[in-house]
Amino acid sequence: MSARRVAVTGLGMVSPVGTSAPASFQALLEGRSGLQLLEPAEAPHPLAVPAGVCADFDAGAALGKPRAATMDRYSQLGVAAALEAWRDAGLAEAPGEDRSQWGVAWGTGMGGALTFERGYREVYAAGRERLAPLTVVQAMNNACASHLAIQFGLGGSCATYSVACASAAMAIGEAFRRVRSGAAPVMLAGGSEAPLAYGVIRAWLALQVLAPGDAASAASAGKPFQRQRAGLVLAEGGAALVLEDWARAEQRGARIYAELAGFGESSDHANLVRPSRDGQARAVRAALADARLAPADLDYVNAHATGTREGDAVEIAALRAALGERLPQLHVSSTKSSLGHPLGAAGALEAAITVLALHTGDLPPTLGAAEALGLAQATGCRSASLKGVSWIRSSWSRATMAAPLVCLPRAPSASAWVWSTSMASSPVPSTVSVIINSISVKPPRPRRGSRLRFSWSTRPLLDSSCGPARRPAAPGPRRNPASRSIRRRRHPRLRRPPR
Amino acid sequence: MSQAALAYRFIEERLGIDLKSADAATELATLGVDSLTLLELMFEIEEKLGVNVGENTPPPRTCGELAQLMERVAAGKTAVDGA
Repeated sequence: MSARRVAVTGLGMVSPVGTSAPASFQALLEGRSGLQLLEPAEAPHPLAVPAGVCADFDAGAALGKPRAATMDRYSQLGVAAALEAWRDAGLAEAPGEDRSQWGVAWGTGMGGALTFERGYREVYAAGRERLAPLTVVQAMNNACASHLAIQFGLGGSCATYSVACASAAMAIGEAFRRVRSGAAPVMLAGGSEAPLAYGVIRAWLALQVLAPGDAASAASAGKPFQRQRAGLVLAEGGAALVLEDWARAEQRGARIYAELAGFGESSDHANLVRPSRDGQARAVRAALADARLAPADLDYVNAHATGTREGDAVEIAALRAALGERLPQLHVSSTKSSLGHPLGAAGALEAAITVLALHTGDLPPTLGAAEALGLAQATGCRSASLKGVSWIRSSWSRATMAAPLVCLPRAPSASAWVWSTSMASSPVPSTVSVIINSISVKPPRPRRGSRLRFSWSTRPLLDSSCGPARRPAAPGPRRNPASRSIRRRRHPRLRRPPR
Repeated sequence: MSQAALAYRFIEERLGIDLKSADAATELATLGVDSLTLLELMFEIEEKLGVNVGENTPPPRTCGELAQLMERVAAGKTAVDGA
């Protein structure tokens, strides 16, 4: 089968800062934190940790109570995000199609952890003899993907990927390959996670990788790239992307957010929890090669950066190794500073955020990142490695933010290649060998002589760019009145030879 | 609160269906209540009200049948007993 181009035509997200993709992205641009102090109810021993909680998510309202009642929370988050993506792509209103080759690729690290915990409480703590009949089908790792296939009538591949923090990135990569090869004209891809169970949190605490915090400091407990970073912040969430054969998307007049251009993966084959620079760099190079791009084509990295002592440093070292002289010109941010770390769903949330960053031209900041310049010393890197990021101090003081420093990367340059890495190699309890995935995304090709418009203001933009589905196709990113206009440089690699 | 009222409130909380005002002929499937949902629901009713619905109880298909089942369960009878 010949290689096809792969378009992103739908986005959906439920995150600690919003219950939709536009709301979440806007909150990120405004520098809001979704982190709060979590004190699990019915805890046998008092417990309070910073966590990214989707507090505004109402599963019954989003899915209908009967349907929500059959799902673990990780499925509820995933199906809600996928419903949004499906509607956003304009596919919800196109019944009667032959969807026998359409598929779903989903990622989750811990699946129905809350259901498992509830079951163990019942049989061990409460001493009950029987369990709820749906325990198995709620807890299983493939539950969410199955719900999605049923919901949207997807008769092709229905697979779940569980590779720790790279789960959703892996799922997106595999979905990308299926569309590119022609095996599937449409794939729903993403991931979801709901790990905030008492026992799960205790297990992560035992691994000594969780960031500490109290009620006052919880909102800023995640400190990716900062010298004083002290660990990751567990979070829940879900995100979905509709990947579609480019020609098909154009034919039906779909809005195309971006092109998925390449995917790479690697295994460190070294240690369960200690990441390897060389392994990560291999995945970055593999994705570049797959996309037929060079480091100079990249402008933005949505970093994995979880805020652990070792992981962030290794990631910067890996980017330096793989991207060389391009790194100082790159914009790098970690949205985990706002969202926390949704484990297996991280790659999906960050891919959706990266697509929106490319589509709108607005880059989400790293909260508190003025301190991140200290990373150079913390990692032993030369400070030049971060020179490309122009930090802007802001005095936005929000009651929920103990450290109200918000830093915004510069506007992206006109080449507009966007790179999102999702790396599963930070010190996390990956019980599998360390696997790294990279996704590179590039925008639709504008017509000859057209202009890409970028804005890096923090004003609301999404009302125009992420409106309801079935919008007539636009030739390129939508125009924002306040945006700057940059003539797009013609890129030789835009004219890729056929595979 | 009576057992029947508890059962009705439970259905409303879990399924968003007000059995008192619902059309008795409305099929549960059209409200998104499938066999798995009913299975879970019956288990929870049993746990919550301390009753036994009975393993051989035919699953209710309509709002009316669900309401009848709740009345029988609330009266302390299994569906099979009451049938």
